[in-house]
Amino acid sequence: MSNRNFSTCKINWIAFYAFLWLLVGCSEQKESESTVSTVNDTESNSYLVEILPSYQNELLPEGLRWETNNSDPIFSSNEAKRGGTFNSWILSFPLTLRTVGPDSNGSFATYTRANNLGLVGIHPNTLDYYPVLATHWAFGDDGRTVYYRLNEDATWSDGEPVTADDFMFAVDFMRSEHIVAPWYNNHYTSVIVSVSKYDDHTISIEGATAKPPEEMLNEYGLSPIPRHFHRLDENWVQEYNWRLAPTTGAYRISIVEKGQHVEFQRNENWWGDNNHYLRNRYNVDTIRFTVIRDMNVAWEYFLRGELDSFPLVMPSFWHEKANGEDFDSGYIQKIKFYTDRPQPSYGMWMNMDDPILGNLNIRLGIAHAINVEKMLNTLLRGDYERLKMQFEGYGDYSNPSIQPREFDLLQADNYLAAAGFRDRGPDAIRVNEDGQRLAFRVVYGSQEHTPRLVLLREEAKKAGIELNLQLLDSSAQFKQILEKKHQIAWMGWSTGLVPRFWQYYHSDNAHIPQTNNITNTDDPELDLLIMRYRESKEKNERVLLAHLLQRMTHDAGAYIPTYKVPYTREAYWRWLKMPKHFGTRTTDTIFNPLGEALFWLDENLKLETLAARQEGISYPAVTITDTTWQVD
Amino acid sequence: MLVLLALSIFAELLINNRAILVKYDGNYYFPTYTGFIAGTHFGLDYAYETNYRELKKHFSGQSENWVLLPPIPYSPFETNFLEDSFPPYPPSIDDQHYLGTDITGRDILARLAYGFRLAITFSIILLACNYLIGIAIGCAMGFWGGAFDLLFQRLIEIWSNVPFLYVIMIVASVIIPSFWTLAFIMVVFGWMGMTWYMRTATYKEKAREYVEAAKALGASNKRMIFRHILPNTVSIIVTFIPFSIATGITALTALDYLGFGLPPPTPSWGELLSQGTSNLQAPWIVTSVVFAMTIVLLMVTYIGEAVREAFDPKRFTFYE
Repeated sequence: MSNRNFSTCKINWIAFYAFLWLLVGCSEQKESESTVSTVNDTESNSYLVEILPSYQNELLPEGLRWETNNSDPIFSSNEAKRGGTFNSWILSFPLTLRTVGPDSNGSFATYTRANNLGLVGIHPNTLDYYPVLATHWAFGDDGRTVYYRLNEDATWSDGEPVTADDFMFAVDFMRSEHIVAPWYNNHYTSVIVSVSKYDDHTISIEGATAKPPEEMLNEYGLSPIPRHFHRLDENWVQEYNWRLAPTTGAYRISIVEKGQHVEFQRNENWWGDNNHYLRNRYNVDTIRFTVIRDMNVAWEYFLRGELDSFPLVMPSFWHEKANGEDFDSGYIQKIKFYTDRPQPSYGMWMNMDDPILGNLNIRLGIAHAINVEKMLNTLLRGDYERLKMQFEGYGDYSNPSIQPREFDLLQADNYLAAAGFRDRGPDAIRVNEDGQRLAFRVVYGSQEHTPRLVLLREEAKKAGIELNLQLLDSSAQFKQILEKKHQIAWMGWSTGLVPRFWQYYHSDNAHIPQTNNITNTDDPELDLLIMRYRESKEKNERVLLAHLLQRMTHDAGAYIPTYKVPYTREAYWRWLKMPKHFGTRTTDTIFNPLGEALFWLDENLKLETLAARQEGISYPAVTITDTTWQVD
Repeated sequence: MLVLLALSIFAELLINNRAILVKYDGNYYFPTYTGFIAGTHFGLDYAYETNYRELKKHFSGQSENWVLLPPIPYSPFETNFLEDSFPPYPPSIDDQHYLGTDITGRDILARLAYGFRLAITFSIILLACNYLIGIAIGCAMGFWGGAFDLLFQRLIEIWSNVPFLYVIMIVASVIIPSFWTLAFIMVVFGWMGMTWYMRTATYKEKAREYVEAAKALGASNKRMIFRHILPNTVSIIVTFIPFSIATGITALTALDYLGFGLPPPTPSWGELLSQGTSNLQAPWIVTSVVFAMTIVLLMVTYIGEAVREAFDPKRFTFYE
């Protein structure tokens, strides 16, 4: 900014803010112009063919028993209508549109990855498998090979058919060093050993170890990568940062304006519309994600009808903000929908490579100084519940005996004194004999969480611990954490089908950037058990090992679980329609257009509602509470 | 204004959760300035910092032990939760939250007062550093002129075009910006403004007869600058001071509002403002801070106007 303006005089302060924003806005405008050319880059696709490896055909073993599942109840609604534009928002613009490689694991990846379908899907209510890209599957005699028969109608969004070669290529791709993704490199070498092609629409995937059939379909599955689109070389990461890959899902990205918005367009004649379980889902034609960098500003957009739905999980939104005329007149409706599914692991993650946090006593002392109960009962109005550990809600796999460490100043004092922090300075913060203060930096990524952390900080002071809060943009926060430059990270991991330990706790992933072992756990004994867990075929043994691993990681105390939210709460304009059962057992967000996406948008109703609002005609207020899947 | 400043220096005695004076077992304690005293010390059942409001209740009815609390018994960091209700709490005389609390249950008056102290200190430090550098370089440019002047003019022009906000954003994403790092960055990008005025003023004064006369009498450069030129440009400097203070306060507030300023939970007007604007259902937050801000900026501006008038040469000087 111009500094002459800055230090001279008489600046009206409101104008000053406006000026700051104008600057930010202008520069982004410039950036977006320059990107259009790269985004619309539609080079010919056939130039890659000569450098592609040719895959060997193999003979299919005899006696395979092909299975499929077309008998589970459908969970979408026949009443669903297609069409309309769904307006949603994102807090920050994604750093890349790649689904793998550096910076690709941000929150926007949820949407881009949802567009790459797998071989099979999991029924959200029965938890059975159902056919997606594969129509049938069969298990080999060795207990670690799965055979898949591919759907011959499946095509990429650019019209190319999905064939066995795309799956063969997927493995080469995921193993390549050029994608700079150690987790995938490892997974597609040590978990998935090989992929074989029998004909254009039959493949097999060989896993490293024998597993129960139900886990094999999940573990030894694969999403195809469009072979005709990628050219793998050392420039891949940069070259494909903003290129729009063909998808197998219902949508493809159609418009990217950097820093501003991303638009998804539904694929015409999508092959999935003929699938029993995909029919009547993904009903809107266009999905537009606008970057709105502040949740409260997004809320104002929502109230103006410029966004179609809004999450109300946060107590302040549900109790205070989601009230008023638009709600009383029924233009905007609310739903609270209980679910039964694995819980994300929200909490504080400590970096054990830090000299002080490497000390177990310090970690346990901190755990007893974090007053989660008070935070839940006061700030969060008792709406959230205490999370007990990292892997809660995984059925048999969750260790029921693990209890979180309670706020207990006596215990905190014992642990911290044992670590040498006995005395307190004049500001009531503990110091050790070298005069070092017991202060830690907590990095977090949402302004909305500041009150929670401020409360925890004040409570931790009682134990003589200082927590210094560092608020970053969510992408910057994530980058800092993955580069292992944090001391304590305030964040949560999303969930899987079964607990995973290797990515979070194996020493292979410790002390190096861009892996999920953000605690830098490095314990040979743990490594052995993690490998046994990964290789085990018996469910009983796996469950036992999972319990043991949970116990050990709990004892290491590098993670302080905070809260879980066993429901979703959302506000939506009345033109959004849902099936009669609203959602499913494992619904994450009802109005996630790329998730289960059971809802639809009634454009006539939208016109009617907007007109009614103009004229002051009101409808009955609607607040739905659905407890079908509530667990006690 | 000066009264406010003076009050804010002793804010600890007026707005604090530490008591001014405690008499316990015949001894007197002054916890405001002596530091942390554990609850156990006063016969309470906890080892952390004494809650003096509770201590006062605890001592009520005992004549030999008593607690003298500040008029507003809350610290700007303390989160206070009332039974059966959730913050933000509206203003209430009974709870001694005279301007209510913010969304975390912290007293707004306390945060305003400490935020004011921080902003004004920041602004004064900024001013001192900016003016020191700005005047020195501006004066030198005007006095020596020529190649030196030309070089610095271009340097300043280039330097002025470095986007200050981006620098702050980059710094804020790498380190937690502290009071001093913020002040440093703002000085590094803020000293240029004053140079232009000083350069012009020095050029003007240097050409005057009295400087020529001093030069003819053999005065050194140092004497000419410090005894003749600087005292005659002081009116410009003094006139700018109040406005620079106002700019300093708004700049810090703006940065805090945008989230690139001092880290939470530092009491700050910008942070209160952003809380207020995102929680319009609790109007006391935004009204308090806007009102406080308006008053302070108006005061500073009025002082500035008065100073400008007092130094207005047209009222005392006559040119032929």
